[in-house]
Order: sequence, then C-alpha cells, then structure tokens
Amino acid sequence: MAVTLPDATGAAGEELFAPSPAAGARTPPAAVRRSSIIARLRRRAVFLETFTWLYLIWSIIPIGIAVLFSFNSGKAQATWQGFSWRWYVTDPTQSVLHNAELHQAFVQTLVLAGLTTLITVPIGVAFAIGIDRWRTRTASALNFVMIFSFVVPELLLAIALFFVVTDLLHFLPLGTTAEVAGLVVWNLSWPAIVVRSRLVTIGRVYEEAAADLGASRLKALWRVLMPMLMPAIFASAVLVFAGVIDDFVIVEQLSSTAATQPVSVAIYSNVHGGLAGPALNALATLMLVISLVVAAIGYVGYRLMTRGERKNTAEALTTIAGM
Amino acid sequence: MTRRDFLTKAGAGLALGGILAACGSNGSGGGTTPSGSGSSLPLPRPNRPVEWPIYSDDAIIKSGLKPETGATLQIYNWVAYINEAVVKNFCKKYNCKYSITTFNTMSEAIAKLASGQVNFDIFFPTIDVIGQLIETKMMRPLNHSYIPNIANTWPDYRNPFYDQHWRYTVPYSIYTTGMAWRKDKVDLAPGWDMPWQAAKYRGKVALLDDYREGISLALLKRGITDVNTTSTAQIQQAGKDLGELTSLVDIRIDNNDYTEIPDGNTWIHHAWSGDIATAESYLSKGTSIDTIGYWFPSDGKGPVANDLMAVLKTGQNPVLSHLFLNYLLDVHNAFENYSYVGYMQPLTAVTPEKLIADGLLPHQLTSTVVRPSDFRAGVEELELPLSANQVWEQTWNSFAKGL
Amino acid sequence: MSIASRVARPASEHRRARYVWAALAAPGAVWLILLFVIPFYVMLAVAAGQINLLFQTSVPVWNPVHWSGANFAAIWHDLVGPSSYIGPPAIRTVVYTAMASALSLVIAYPVAYFVARYAGRRKTLFLVLLIAPFWVSYMMRMLAWIDLLQQGGYVNKAFAFFHVPGGGVNFLGGQAVTVVLGLVYGYIPYLIVVLYAGLDRIDPSLLEAARDLGCSRTKTFLRVTLPLSRSTIIAGSFITVLPMLGDYYTNQLLSAAPGTTMIGNVIEGQLGQPGEQGQGAALALLLLVVLLVPMLYYSISTARASRQNI
Repeated sequence: MAVTLPDATGAAGEELFAPSPAAGARTPPAAVRRSSIIARLRRRAVFLETFTWLYLIWSIIPIGIAVLFSFNSGKAQATWQGFSWRWYVTDPTQSVLHNAELHQAFVQTLVLAGLTTLITVPIGVAFAIGIDRWRTRTASALNFVMIFSFVVPELLLAIALFFVVTDLLHFLPLGTTAEVAGLVVWNLSWPAIVVRSRLVTIGRVYEEAAADLGASRLKALWRVLMPMLMPAIFASAVLVFAGVIDDFVIVEQLSSTAATQPVSVAIYSNVHGGLAGPALNALATLMLVISLVVAAIGYVGYRLMTRGERKNTAEALTTIAGM
Repeated sequence: MTRRDFLTKAGAGLALGGILAACGSNGSGGGTTPSGSGSSLPLPRPNRPVEWPIYSDDAIIKSGLKPETGATLQIYNWVAYINEAVVKNFCKKYNCKYSITTFNTMSEAIAKLASGQVNFDIFFPTIDVIGQLIETKMMRPLNHSYIPNIANTWPDYRNPFYDQHWRYTVPYSIYTTGMAWRKDKVDLAPGWDMPWQAAKYRGKVALLDDYREGISLALLKRGITDVNTTSTAQIQQAGKDLGELTSLVDIRIDNNDYTEIPDGNTWIHHAWSGDIATAESYLSKGTSIDTIGYWFPSDGKGPVANDLMAVLKTGQNPVLSHLFLNYLLDVHNAFENYSYVGYMQPLTAVTPEKLIADGLLPHQLTSTVVRPSDFRAGVEELELPLSANQVWEQTWNSFAKGL
Repeated sequence: MSIASRVARPASEHRRARYVWAALAAPGAVWLILLFVIPFYVMLAVAAGQINLLFQTSVPVWNPVHWSGANFAAIWHDLVGPSSYIGPPAIRTVVYTAMASALSLVIAYPVAYFVARYAGRRKTLFLVLLIAPFWVSYMMRMLAWIDLLQQGGYVNKAFAFFHVPGGGVNFLGGQAVTVVLGLVYGYIPYLIVVLYAGLDRIDPSLLEAARDLGCSRTKTFLRVTLPLSRSTIIAGSFITVLPMLGDYYTNQLLSAAPGTTMIGNVIEGQLGQPGEQGQGAALALLLLVVLLVPMLYYSISTARASRQNI
C-alpha cells in the first residue's frame, strides 16, 4: 500500500535546481541566510502551527484510542472498563494468543515480510546496478517496466497475479508461495529506485579509480561500490519490510487457507464478517509495535551507516519513509 | 487437483468442446452463457428428486480405514458458523490439527474453490450449489459406514430430494430467513416490506449479502412466493424494488445481522433465524434480550433452508473428514455447537423445548426455531437453470454494486 | 605487449562487462516479466476468453486470433447502456477520488509547508509525528475509525455531549462523507511525506530573493513556493489518486452500502462471482487503459529524469 514515489520529487526538483546533483544529496544552503529568513517568517506562522497540531491530533488520536481499547477488560470500544491483557493473552478463546486465526495471521505477516525482504532486496539491488551500467535499449525498457510497476494501482496488479497463478504458472500455488512471488514484484521498485538514485549520486569516479589501481570490475563493484550503497540498501530493506506489513490487496487475492492470511486480511475479513472487536485491536497493536521497532532500527541503522556524510536527522527520517 | 485437471475433466463430463470450438467464430461465447447448453445439470425439486451419479474417477473411500495421522483438517466455512470448541474436541479425540478458513458469501467461496488451488477437506455448501460441485467432481461421495449418526437426523434427511440416498452430503443446519428488528427503536409492523417502510430509520437498515436471499425478499414483498422463478420480468422488477432502497434508506448489504442487531448499529436487518438466536451473546451492555425481534410469516410462507456438510475431493484427509461429519451429527456435539452458532441441526433430539429448557435459546426468540412442518409450508431456494441464474446474479450485482 | 592488443583489450572487456551488467539485472528482469508483464497478458486472455459453462469460471484463450470481445461489449453496455449499472459507481469513483485527494492536498500541504519551513529546532519532533501514521498499517487506521464511528462510539458520544444536532447518525451506514474522509485518512500519510520532501528541497535563498525584491509574504508563496512545488504536488497527487481508484476495502469497511460503491467494488465483486470473472478482468483492463496516460506520463518523466542524471 505504501505507494510513495521517492524519485518523482527528486527528479522534478533537479530540472529546477541545476546545481543540486540528485535527490537526497542537496547542497546545503548558506546557513546564515536560512536562519535569517526563517526567523523573519516564523513569527507569522501561528496559524500554520495550530493547523499542524490539529492535523497531528486528528491523525494520531484515533490510533491511540484503538491501541488503548485493546487493553480494555470489556468488549466495548468506547467505555473503559479497566486495564487487562484479556485480548492479548488471557481470554481462552478470543485472545490473539488463543484464537488460531489471529496468531496465525501474526506469524504469517512476519513470514511474508521476512521472505519478501530477503528475496526482493538482493534482486532489486542487482537490478538497479545492472540497469544503471548496462546502458542498452533493453535496459531502458526494463527500467521503464520497473517504474511502471511502481505506479500501477495495486488492485489491477493483484487481479492479474491471481489470474496468472491460477491459469498459467501452476508452480506458484495460491498461499505463501504466490503471496511472496507477488509481493516481491510489487516491492521490487523500492530497492531498485532507492539504490539507483544513490548510484547516480555516487557517480563512477570511485569505481574507475579502483579499476585504475588494477581491481577487476566485479572486485571494484564488490569492494568499493557495495559499501557505499549499504545505507540505501538498508533503507530499502526497511521499506520493503514495512510495505509487506502494510499490504492488503495482493495478499487478499493470493492467500488460500486461514494459515496463509496475514494480519491485514484477518482484520478485513473479521470486520467484514461482523466480528470487529478488541482482539483485532490487540492484533493490530502488536503489528504496530513491530512496525515501530522496524522503523527505529531503520532510523538508527541508517544514521550509523551514514555517519561520515553530514546528513541530518530529518534526512534519515524521510529516507526510511521512502523519501 | 490442479485447475488444468479440473478443466480437462469438466470438459469430458460436459460437452465443453462445443464452446471451445466456437471460440473464434463470433465472440458470442465470452461474457454471456449461451442459454440451454449448460442445462444438462439436473435441478432437484421436492417433486423431482435427484440421485447424483458416482463417477469411476471420484470413487468412494474404502470402509474401515484408520484416520490419517499428523493431519491438519482444513475446514472451509462461513464466518462464525461453527463452534471452534467442537472442532478442538474432535481433534483431541482423533489427534489432529485443524484450520478454519472463512468466507463471507457463497459466491466468493465457489469462486475460490473453482480456482482449483485450495485443498480444503470440509465444505459447508448450500443446496443450490451442490449440483455443480458434484458434476465437476469437487465433492467426494460419502462412505456411509463412517457416518452412523445419520440415524439421529430427521427422517427426511436420510433420503433428501436434493441428494437421494445422501450420496454426497449430510445436513448441517436448518434455518428460516425473515426480518430482525429492534423493538425498542423501530415502530413498524414486522413484514417483508419493513425496509421499504423504514424511511425514518435511514442508515440503520440492511439486507443479507446473498443474491438469492436479496432478490427473494423483494419477490416476497410483492407476494411472489416462487423464489426459484425464471421470469426475467419478475426478477428485474425485484431488482428495481431493491434499487429504491438506496434512496429510501441508504440500504446496506452485509451478513452481520448476528452482531449488528444486538449492538444497535442496525435496527432492521433482513436476517437468518440462526444468526438472531445467538443475539444474547452480542448484546451491548444494558440492553435486554426483549428488544430483539425476529419475524417469520405466521403462515410459514417464507424461505426455509438447510445447509450441508460435504467432503471435498481436494482434501488430503478423507477418513478424518468422514469422521468429522459423523462427529457433528452427534446429539451432544450438536448442542455444544448450537450454543455458539445458533443454527439448529435437524436432529430429532434437538427440540425447541429442550433448547429453551437448557437455556440455550431465550424464550423471547422462539420465532427462530425451525420445525419439520416449516419445510412443508415454506419455500426453498433451489438450484436454478444456468440462464436464469445469470439473470438473478446480474440483477443482484447491478443493485449491490451499482446504484 | 603489442599496440594492437592494448587497443583491443578495453573493447573486449567492455563486452564482457556488459554480460556482467546483464547478468545482474537478469533476476529482477525475469521476475518483472514473469509476474508483471505476463500477468497482464493473462488478464487480457481471460477478458477476451471463454467461460466454463458448468463451473462458471473463466477460461483464458491464449491465441489472440481467437479472442472474443463479448466481455468488453458487456462491460461497455453496463457502463453506458440504458440499464447501465457501472455508470454510477464510475462517476462516484471520480467524484470521491477528486474530493478526497483535493482535501488531502489542502490538509497536507500547509502541514508539510509548516514543518519544512517553520518548524525550526522542533523539526525532528514534528517529522516523527508526521511520519508516525505512515508506519501504522492501513487496516489499523481503518479499524480505529470503525471503533470511533460506531453507534455507541466516541464520535456519537461527542455529538451527544455537545448537544450537536446530527448525533445518533449511523456514520457507518452508507454515508458518502464517511467514505471520503476515510480515504483522506487512509492515504494522507503517504502524501504528506512526499510533500514535505519536496518543499524541504526548495532553496530558502530563492524565497529570500523574492522578499528582497519586494514581494509580500503571500506573494512570495504564490509566485515562488507554489510554482516551485508544482511537480511535488503532481507527484503527491499520483500517490493518492492511483490507489484510491482501485480502492474497495475502505468503502466496504466504512459503508458497505450500494449507494457508495466505487469501481474497485464492482471489479472485486465480479471477480468473486462465478461467471463474471471475465467481465471483471475486462473492467480492470478498461480502468488500466484509462489510467495509462497518467501512468505513462509519470513513468516516462521519471525514467527520463533518471537518465539525465547519469
């Protein structure tokens, strides 16, 4: 679901700002000038700030309430009846722990996210490098297909995938196999785009220097380029993982038995079937915790990897959100 | 079974070659079914019972087999339509694991089964779909020696008209379709036309998400009790009547009558009796069971039905599946199942009096009870000829997804 | 070493290198072809294919010579014909999507603008809060609103508390407003991240220059910031519009009423209805064709921009 288009703004921005070489590598403007103009404008931003806070309240409070009521001891979603772990552990039939459908969903989400990340990232990174260096018509065409796969509405891809696995590619049966296959293609553009824009920033100077020093092309790639790409690879892995956790449409079309339905599908089908209840909030909250942990790891990891590059907090935050 | 197998077999079973040969000719075969060519399927009716054939490549399993070991019983069922505790006990007894996958509508379930890529053991079909499941060899014929508990069922079900000699199915539940409403909120005389009278309850009225039930409701509202009608005019009129409900009451479509009426999100819901029988366990705090009403016409001229249990051929555990069917026809287990599901099973020992005496059914909701006599007075939604079925489906779709 | 071999070496190495690059791109390319390009061909083969009469399932026809236009004709008939039923959801899809993405933009732009320009030292705090919903799954965000909007939920309680008329409304009872706001809430986190990144990239010295040349604050915004963020706004709109056009779950969860269905619901319904899968595929392809222009525009401009950078 996370259909953000990291390259779009970067690409368009470049045309307007010739000096800045690429997305994510902005030339820092003169700090003095910036602070002066900001100081002047800031005084009048009261309205904007109020608006921003209202937005933040609107965007975060509902989720907070949903989390809160996952700890409610009763069934109600709007009457607090005391704190309890009932919907996580203690309820013998309906809690996430004891309801097979719910805990299977939790496990399946992690399995899908793990497998998809492990497959997508290496393939996507190799694809980005290959396309970037192998400059032929075929490469441009493939690049185009990759970008196209990024913008196609997910429902259309999901339907096409359903037909292809049921009518043609019988070695990819519905269930985990088809889900992973579909999620990989849907998420492939993350590493491909993120790594590619990093490749553009790096240029070919280092690699050529290594080659001049006698390294073979592959060695240069492995020893010189890979370390420089690591932050981008890492960020894209985080994005893929988060994207799979968030995904609904593809997995809904490609799942088969209850054991292959991840959290998003479990929530949807239970609500659709009239069983919205605090146990679903509990399941969603668990997933939220996983997401936030991944985000935190992503942020810390990215900052550690880019220590030497004078990048700021904001840059790291937006990178792991796909920008 | 892969989809390709299925297609080959289906092709052999029916004269599929004909339409395949006509592929390129004029394009008439694509979106619309040529009428008549598929109607080789027999249509069971009470006065025209059907005995389904048993195919040589879809044979009955041998008697006296040991249940599969280390198995996971794959159950494909409606949402909230079986008591998981019963399944748990079964698996304890036979040392197996289980997995319950759910669906929201029968159409959705059939579409998934038809993909040929799911290997469920047990399925809970409605009567009107078993013909196509049998003819496409999706269902396994039953070996009666594993299912002695059939003797517990109403006599009618030991030789039902839709499946003579119960070759492929055993009965699961019996229910009527009527109207559920909140007595504390709604001031209307109960009847089929409730949704059309409910303008002042806009946004709190819902229909069942089922093309047969939905259109049947509109037919019944006009006094047409032939809920298997093939008259295009009648069906389309019904569709038109349903369409009015959008502007009239912002009609909603879902199968959540069992939670929405008790929790008060919906006040008038086209409903299944079994869904309402469990209302007590979904009531919001401080609401009395007296507020829940379920109406079924007193002359009995309303939809009655029984759902079935069947063993799917794609399943890996045929012996366990047979034992499971038998297990659910056990009287004790049936009561336990009822306590959660609310749908009665047609077992002679499961009487309304006993359900009320045991505290399983509040006396306020005796209207949800189904008796053998209801099946004689009521109307049943049965398998339709393909061409008519398509009119039903399209009419429903254009209402449910369109207007 | 002869001169000839010296000259020849880079050329052969160049060729060898090309194999390396091709080999690197190969797995991804195979995946894309097998599971992106071919699936759409299969979809076409289904849409232009036949139907299995007994099971009412679609049977793809692989050879284009034998394709049938019946499903497309049926869809067209349902879309514009006298008894059209896809027409209303199609119109609703356009209206809801336009309203929801316009609203998202109106909300997200000032917020992103504030955080990018004025947040100052608190920028990190704002960014964390801004990005947080991005990390909450879509289904959970919907679930949160279902809880709030229920009959006895906090929204109705608040209405009752403040004695606002309109309380006791079933917000989940087929209200178009609920669906549009649900879409806004669902997709705005993705939009806001893009807008922020775009706005943050605008060089403050340009704004200062504008001010130095005598532009008022409003004028600076209208003449400099807004034009400079045009491409960001376009990119952001893609992010909200494209998935909304294929959305069926938001609608199903927050309304479930025929009066608010969108094209995604029609397609999803047809796929779940035996006998209608071919038409579902045809409708999906029709939607794809309609979206082809904006998608191609986006893909080509992105591909071109990334090529220029090399």
